[in-house]
Amino acid sequence: MNVSDIFLRAGRNLRESKARTILTALAIAVGATTITVAMAAGNGGRAYTNEMVQTSGDAYSLNVYPKPEASAQKTETGLPEYGVVEEEAAQVSGLLAERDIKEIRGLEGVKSISPMLNITPEYATRGEGEKKLVAPLSIKADRTKIDLAAGALTDNMPQASQVIVPEGYLASFGFASAQEAIGQKLLINIPQYSTAGVPTGEAQNFELTIAAVDRQSNTNLYYSEALRVSTQDSEKMYAYQRGEETVNRYYGLVVLADQGADISVLQQQIRDRGYDVYSLEDQREQLLQMIDIAQWGLIGFGALAVIASIFGIINTQYISVLERTQQIGLMKAVGASRRDVARLFRYEAAWVGLLGGVIGVLIGYLVTLLNPVIASSLALESGTELLRIDWLASVGLVIGLMVVSIVSGYFPSRKAAKLDPIEALRTE
Amino acid sequence: MIEVKNITKTYGKKNNLFTALKDVSLTIPDGASVAILGKSGSGKSTLMHALSGLDRPQQGQVVIDGQDILTLKEKAVDRFRANKIGFIFQSFFVTGSETTSENISLPLEIATVPRRDRKQRIADALSAVELSDKATSKARNLSGGQKQRLAIARAIVNNPRIIFADEPTGNLDSATSEKIEKLLFDYNKNKGVTLIIVTHDPELAAKCGMIVTIKDGAVESVRQR
Repeated sequence: MNVSDIFLRAGRNLRESKARTILTALAIAVGATTITVAMAAGNGGRAYTNEMVQTSGDAYSLNVYPKPEASAQKTETGLPEYGVVEEEAAQVSGLLAERDIKEIRGLEGVKSISPMLNITPEYATRGEGEKKLVAPLSIKADRTKIDLAAGALTDNMPQASQVIVPEGYLASFGFASAQEAIGQKLLINIPQYSTAGVPTGEAQNFELTIAAVDRQSNTNLYYSEALRVSTQDSEKMYAYQRGEETVNRYYGLVVLADQGADISVLQQQIRDRGYDVYSLEDQREQLLQMIDIAQWGLIGFGALAVIASIFGIINTQYISVLERTQQIGLMKAVGASRRDVARLFRYEAAWVGLLGGVIGVLIGYLVTLLNPVIASSLALESGTELLRIDWLASVGLVIGLMVVSIVSGYFPSRKAAKLDPIEALRTE
Repeated sequence: MIEVKNITKTYGKKNNLFTALKDVSLTIPDGASVAILGKSGSGKSTLMHALSGLDRPQQGQVVIDGQDILTLKEKAVDRFRANKIGFIFQSFFVTGSETTSENISLPLEIATVPRRDRKQRIADALSAVELSDKATSKARNLSGGQKQRLAIARAIVNNPRIIFADEPTGNLDSATSEKIEKLLFDYNKNKGVTLIIVTHDPELAAKCGMIVTIKDGAVESVRQR
């Protein structure tokens, strides 16, 4: 018999016992739904994580710190002798120096390096005679995506003489709207410290232009309100505040890699040179790993449901063989081979698997329609999709379930194939 | 031509040994109408099964058109049945859930007749048994006589060389039986197809050209008319 003929006959036989077919298929659908939702959750979770990481930090930026124990462990033979200055010592007393910058800059894929500077402003004001406000200052040294209420930035970074103001500060500075603040002047007062860290009484105003107004976004893990200045301005401010002598000592560096560079290779190279390196990639991988574990756990439960449904298929098929003994006997009398008969029952199982898989995926899809409800109950931004169906994987799932069904139809179909037509057609 | 040479069929082992056919020999010419007459348990059905390749006697030969079908492999016997044999049974064995056309289509599908040829052959078979108006009816909605006519259509659709009819009128009233008998004998005469009727009814047997009487697994007599 031709495959297509057997397939059609199998479908017809199933339509004849609709209730039984649908019930068997529903058992498979339970597992299929679980697996579909698990895949959708994993998919959505990964996408959400990636989005979150993107808005929380620059994937191409690395934070480099000295190893805390580096200075003490420098010599293998014991403690360093007093008065003997080791020229090799790049890292001095837990701080990084120009030497370190040079060493890292030489690595492949490094675009720029900006030191992490600790600047303490006195106040910020819109001009002489205006209100003087105390506001924290931060340096925007990476290209981390930020959510803007107004204005525009290139590469998500301010240029020299530009400043980004958080939306929450607008009212204090007397701006009616975010748009109104763009292009306005902002003076930042930086006091001068002596080498001992005591204020000298001197101070200087740095005049900056508001280039953008930023705001908190749901996916940003580390948002904190601060006036954000460029690396160029921060270096000038730091130089003024601390004086030339301490300028070349930094507690950390922000290394920006070229777009498209292999960040993990660069990270390893820097680590090999004896620094502590942190990247957002590390955190992203940890988050993704957790999502993967949760997803596979859920898929495991779905697989259990599928295994349970296999016994349903086998049972139903056995009953079907018993019921249709005469039909099978007739087929064999008319010349159907064992293979034809076995195929007929295997294809019926395949139909059941197909039906169960499709029903399961469709129910899974209906579950994803609850995305807005999930987003609002988790207090996420509207439009966030935590469940995203992977249609290609769903097709794979349906095919997989068909294969599983065919395999579980093996024993009943063998019983049918082995049936003796003489016995089957005996009327007495 | 069908030549049966010394076939013996036994069931069971040792103490429970039962001999269904004892050294049966028989020759049936092409186009003959043959009655295999015998009481219940005489072995007449076993003989039919042996002739059609459904059963395999332990000894002897069943030579059909020069080929001993007992030496063929299972698949080849299946093909032989699909291409050369039609069956009609006492209880019809039509599939009630299928339409008459779908029932008739089965032997064509098994013999892998191309789909484009099937429609015409099904229509021809239906008109031969005067069931053309029931082409799309479910078989379960047919009367007993109609079901047996459907079974005949299914038996002849693939132009077999031999038709086996096992008590074809056993479940039918006499008027319907006559109609079925006429259909079978007419087909036998007009197409030159060998017709082998297995029955316990001497009246039906008397209408055949050759009567083989079976008793206790052996041929008692062969009469030509």
